[in-house]
Amino acid sequence: MSRLLLLSTTFGLGLAFASDISSAVESPDASKIIAKDLLGPAKVFTMPKGCITDDKDAIARGEFIFQNLNGSKVKGKLPAGLAKTQMVQGKTYAPQDEIPPKQYGNCVACHNIEGAKGAGNIGPDLTSYHDLFIKSGARDNQFVYQKIADARIDNPNTHMTINLTTGLFTEREICDITSYIVSIKN
Amino acid sequence: MIGKKIILASALLGVLAFGGEQFAMSDSDRAMYAEMLENNPADILVESGNEALAEFCGGDAGLAKFLGVSEDDLPAYIAGFPRYVETLDMVAGLDQVLQALMAQNGHKPFALKSGDMFAMSAYAKSIANEEKINIDVTANEQMKAAYALGDEVFNTKRGGRGLSCMSCHSSAVIGSVLRTQPLPDLGSEANKAGATWPAYRMTKSSLRTLQRRFQGCMNNALLAVIPLGSPEMVALEVYVTDKAKGREIAIPGLKR
Ligand code: HEC
Ligand code: HEC
Repeated sequence: MSRLLLLSTTFGLGLAFASDISSAVESPDASKIIAKDLLGPAKVFTMPKGCITDDKDAIARGEFIFQNLNGSKVKGKLPAGLAKTQMVQGKTYAPQDEIPPKQYGNCVACHNIEGAKGAGNIGPDLTSYHDLFIKSGARDNQFVYQKIADARIDNPNTHMTINLTTGLFTEREICDITSYIVSIKN
Repeated sequence: MIGKKIILASALLGVLAFGGEQFAMSDSDRAMYAEMLENNPADILVESGNEALAEFCGGDAGLAKFLGVSEDDLPAYIAGFPRYVETLDMVAGLDQVLQALMAQNGHKPFALKSGDMFAMSAYAKSIANEEKINIDVTANEQMKAAYALGDEVFNTKRGGRGLSCMSCHSSAVIGSVLRTQPLPDLGSEANKAGATWPAYRMTKSSLRTLQRRFQGCMNNALLAVIPLGSPEMVALEVYVTDKAKGREIAIPGLKR
C-alpha cells in the first residue's frame, strides 16, 4: 500500500492507475517449473540379464538413438522397435492431439564414432571402442552401461547427459545403446 | 561497395573455414552473413521500435523521465540493465520497464514475448550503443540476490537430459564442438552476449532478445522452458550480462 502511494505521488497519478502500472509488468513465477524439472541424485544401475546382445535390430536401435536428436527430424524408416513419437507419461490424449516426438540420445553432438555425421568433441571419441577399450580390458560392458545411464557415478562433475535417472530412456534402450558402442563395427 | 563485401566475405571464410566440413555454415551461408553484417535485417525492426517508443512511451525523453535520469545520462544508465528499479521495487529488464511505461501512459503494454516488444526493447537498448556494459551486481541487496539466483539457475542441472547451462558454457568446454556448433564463450569479445542482444538470428530469420535466446537453449537441451520476465529469467540475464561487463554495446547484434 505504501509503495502504491509512493508511486502515485511520484507520477502525480491516481492510485488506481499506479496499481495498474505494477500489475502491467509481467513477472511470472518460474520456481515451480524449475523445481519439477530438477535432476535427481546420482544412481547406480546394474545391467539386467541379456542386456548386451549382438541382435541386429537392437544394435540398429542403439545406433539410431546415438546418431539422432528426436523423432521430429527423422525422415524415412526407423529401425524395428523404435517409434518417432512418444506420449508423455500420465497425460491423457484426445484423438486430435499431437503426440510429442520421441527423444533420442543425440550422443553424436558430443562424441565421434564410426559413420558419425557432424560429430562434436566435448566427449571422448568412441571410434574403435571395442578394440581400444573393451578388448584391452580398460573398460567393461557394465562401465559403459552405467556411464550412459548416469555418468555421475564415474565422474560427479560430468558434462555428459544423464539418460536413465531422468527416465528419458528405458533399461532396454540403454542396453541397445551400450550393445551398439561395444559391438565390432565394419 | 561490392569490393568491400567481397573482402568481408573472404575474411569470414578465413575464420570459419578452419573446421572444414564440420561447421554448419555453407559457402552461401557465409556470403549471406557477410551481406547481413553490412546491412543487418533487424535495423528496420529497431527503427520501428523507435517509433513505438515515441508513440507509446514519450520517446527517449519519456524513458529517461520514468527512470529518473537526464536524457544525457540515459545511454550510460541503460548500459547497466537489468537493474533494480525503485518505482517497480524489482530487478527489471528493459522490456519490463517499457511495459510499466506503456501502462503509465494509458496504453495496453506489449506482451514480453511479442515481436513489438522485442523491437521496442531492442531500440531502447540501442540507445546505449557504444557505451560499455556497466551492470553492477553488488549495487544493492536486490542486485546481489538477482546475481546469486542467476548463478544458481545457470548451474542447476535439470530436464530430460540432466543438463545445466554450465554443461555447455563452462570454461572446460568452451571452444569444443557440439554437433557442428563451437560452444561460445558468452563473455568474450567475439560473442559478448550481454552486449549484442537483442540480435537478428539468421537461423530464425527474426529479431530476438537475450531471454528469448536462453529459451532456445533450454528448448534444445530439453530443460523445461521458463517464462520471459520471471525473476529467474531476469536473474539469468543479470548473470550472463555481467560476463560481458566492460564490453561495448552494439545493438542489434547478428547471430547465427
Ligand atoms: C553434452 C555432451 C555429451 C553428450 C550429449 C553425451 N556425452 Fe558421453 N561423454 C561426455 C563427456 C564429457 C565424457 C567424458 C567423461 C565424463 O566426464 O563423464 C563422456 C563419456 C562417455 C563414455 C565413456 C567413454 C570411456 O570409456 O571413458 C561413453 C561410453 C559415452 N560418453 C557414451 C555416450 C552416449 C551413449 C551418449 C548418448 C546417449 C552420450 N555419451 C552423450 C559428453 C557427452
Ligand atoms: C547442450 C548444450 C547447451 C546447453 C545445455 C545450453 N546451451 Fe547455450 N548455447 C549452446 C550452443 C551450441 C550455442 C551456440 C549456438 C549457435 O551458434 O547457434 C549456444 C548459445 C548461447 C547463447 C548465445 C551466445 C551468443 O553468441 O550471443 C546464449 C546467451 C546461451 N547459449 C545461454 C545459455 C543459457 C542461459 C543456458 C541454460 C539455460 C544454455 N545456454 C544452455 C549450447 C548449450
